[in-house]
Amino acid sequence: MLINEGAMQRNRRIRRLGQAGLRLNPIFAYFFLWAPILVLVLFSFNSSRSVASFTGFTLKWYGNILNNVMGAESAFSTELMLNAFRNSLFVGTVATAISTVLGTMIALAMARGKFPGKGLIDGLLFLPVVIPEITQAISLAIFFKVAFDWFALLSGERVFPGFHTIIAAHVTFNISYVAIVVRARLADMNPRLEEAANDLGANPWRAFWRVTFPLILPGVISGALLAFTLSLDDFVITFFTSGVGTTTLPVFVYGLLKLTVTPEVNAISTIMMVLSTLLIGISLAMQGRGASRV
Amino acid sequence: MATFDVELVDIVKDFESGGNRVRAVDRVSVAIEDGEFFALLGPSGCGKTTTLRLIAGFEQPTSGRILIRGRAMEGIPAYHRPVNTVFQDYALFPHLTVEQNIMFGLQMEGVDKKDARKRALEALEQVRLLGVGKRKPHQLSGGQQQRVALARALVKQPAVLLLDEPLGALDLKLRKNMQYELKALQRDVGITFIYVTHDQEEAITMADRIAVMNEGVMLQVGTPKEIYEHPETHFVADFIGETNFIPGTLLGRDDDGYGRVKLADGTVIRAQLSHALASEALAVTVAIRPERIGIFTPLGPPDESGERHTPLNPPKALGGGIDASGVTVLDAVVADSQYIGTDTRYTLALGGEIELVARLQNVNNKDGASFEVGQRVNVHWGESNTTVLDQ
Repeated sequence: MLINEGAMQRNRRIRRLGQAGLRLNPIFAYFFLWAPILVLVLFSFNSSRSVASFTGFTLKWYGNILNNVMGAESAFSTELMLNAFRNSLFVGTVATAISTVLGTMIALAMARGKFPGKGLIDGLLFLPVVIPEITQAISLAIFFKVAFDWFALLSGERVFPGFHTIIAAHVTFNISYVAIVVRARLADMNPRLEEAANDLGANPWRAFWRVTFPLILPGVISGALLAFTLSLDDFVITFFTSGVGTTTLPVFVYGLLKLTVTPEVNAISTIMMVLSTLLIGISLAMQGRGASRV
Repeated sequence: MATFDVELVDIVKDFESGGNRVRAVDRVSVAIEDGEFFALLGPSGCGKTTTLRLIAGFEQPTSGRILIRGRAMEGIPAYHRPVNTVFQDYALFPHLTVEQNIMFGLQMEGVDKKDARKRALEALEQVRLLGVGKRKPHQLSGGQQQRVALARALVKQPAVLLLDEPLGALDLKLRKNMQYELKALQRDVGITFIYVTHDQEEAITMADRIAVMNEGVMLQVGTPKEIYEHPETHFVADFIGETNFIPGTLLGRDDDGYGRVKLADGTVIRAQLSHALASEALAVTVAIRPERIGIFTPLGPPDESGERHTPLNPPKALGGGIDASGVTVLDAVVADSQYIGTDTRYTLALGGEIELVARLQNVNNKDGASFEVGQRVNVHWGESNTTVLDQ
């Protein structure tokens, strides 16, 4: 067989070029992903109020937030922002608690139950994950309006949107995420384990608490953390379902955009980002935990 | 009163699958005695595991009755039945230690923690597995996990222990050891064992009685010897050990439970009729085990005095057909021989394209019991070693 030296050399050159390109690819990809966030983090440490230029490093803005939390005097805008942050935490906590219980129950019914229409419910479970958020937001806003109108008609009392509407709305989308995560965990679980528990004298209730629940707990916690993060970050649905005095942090920040972005907003956004990343990180770690075991 | 531990009466179990009804267990009736080692044997999908799950209470029969110690089990859930199961994949609780696994069943009965721990340790000793109580199941080998599963079930002192292919996941050598241990353990504790397996050798060596199942039907129940020596159906004869099947026509039935069967080449032999043989059957199969067939050369080499005689103890009449001594002798040619250590396996060609396999032990003999391919020989067997089955 003849060896074409020229062609081989050419091939080698092309291969080297390709390898260089492959090495550059992730750098570009991560730049696009992280550059805007890096800018935000950077400017949360900027000593100037303006985002026009970086004039020096400071922890002043974080300090302002901390001062306010500690009860010291601070600017009115910072106080409003922290109020919104507290609202976010409240909504997130309550919505997570409700959706984790309901989502886990749905996951259990899907994995273990046999009932007509199971396939349909299974499909519908993914709906909040795939439909555009704006669609869900508008449908929820209309739903609450109609529901409250009927309520007013029947009882004569007018209900206004508030925390209850935001929480109900957050629960609707969080249930899906919790159910999906918990069900993945249940699918990994050996169904013989529940039979073994029954066989050893445990009724279904005790079998659940002694065997099934401890084994799916990492999935439940993971789902709850995911739900909490989604709740904390949600803007669109919250915007359409919130009332007066129930502004959450993302909605508050959006309102600020009409005026100016204060450095405190940069700081609290950075805090939110770190918090969310941490929660999602823990959530992912929990999902992987114990997965390799029987 | 009945001394039966477990009675199945006309059990039927249907499964729905995609709109189809599949019958997993078909009118099974059997009574298992107290303290018996009872094997459910059959190929995968024969309904043996479903039968076990029906007894355990994981499935409900479509129709029929299950009695455990004389008590009807209808409507009694798994957690109230006096039976315990050793699962094929052991199903040990991965989040609990070995000790906690074994204590689980006792705690469900309300035994306090201290007593439960004491009994768990005793159970571990019983299965010869001390010193691993604090470990998690995934830190143990397959054989150790198997013992833990056994201890977890035995500690409950059930009336009946159900074992679903408990040795299936172990390697061959460990499996052999566990067979002896399990059998010894069962003799010790005196608990009725119902043992599901697809391994006929395992069933034969361990069980007091075997039920052979196929396609949901319990074909034959009997001691290992009965099943091996007197299979009642073609399937049982084929599934247990190696068997030669010779097709033939039943010419007539004799009073002593034997029949005369005409083979393809026209030879007529006498063979024992199976109890399960249909009374009008004409086209039949004669089953005979390879190790029950003897081979000898029509005449051996001459000795010092010049006399020729057969090396093996030959029957009086040679040349085939029916013999008053109850021995069948037929002409054959050695078509193939295969050395397999303790035995040599000969394939023998008879008239009418009949092929038989014979297994001869490689005993200490200088001449005689070794045959060349192509050699003309006689094959013989005692009539009582044959069984006439439906085709």
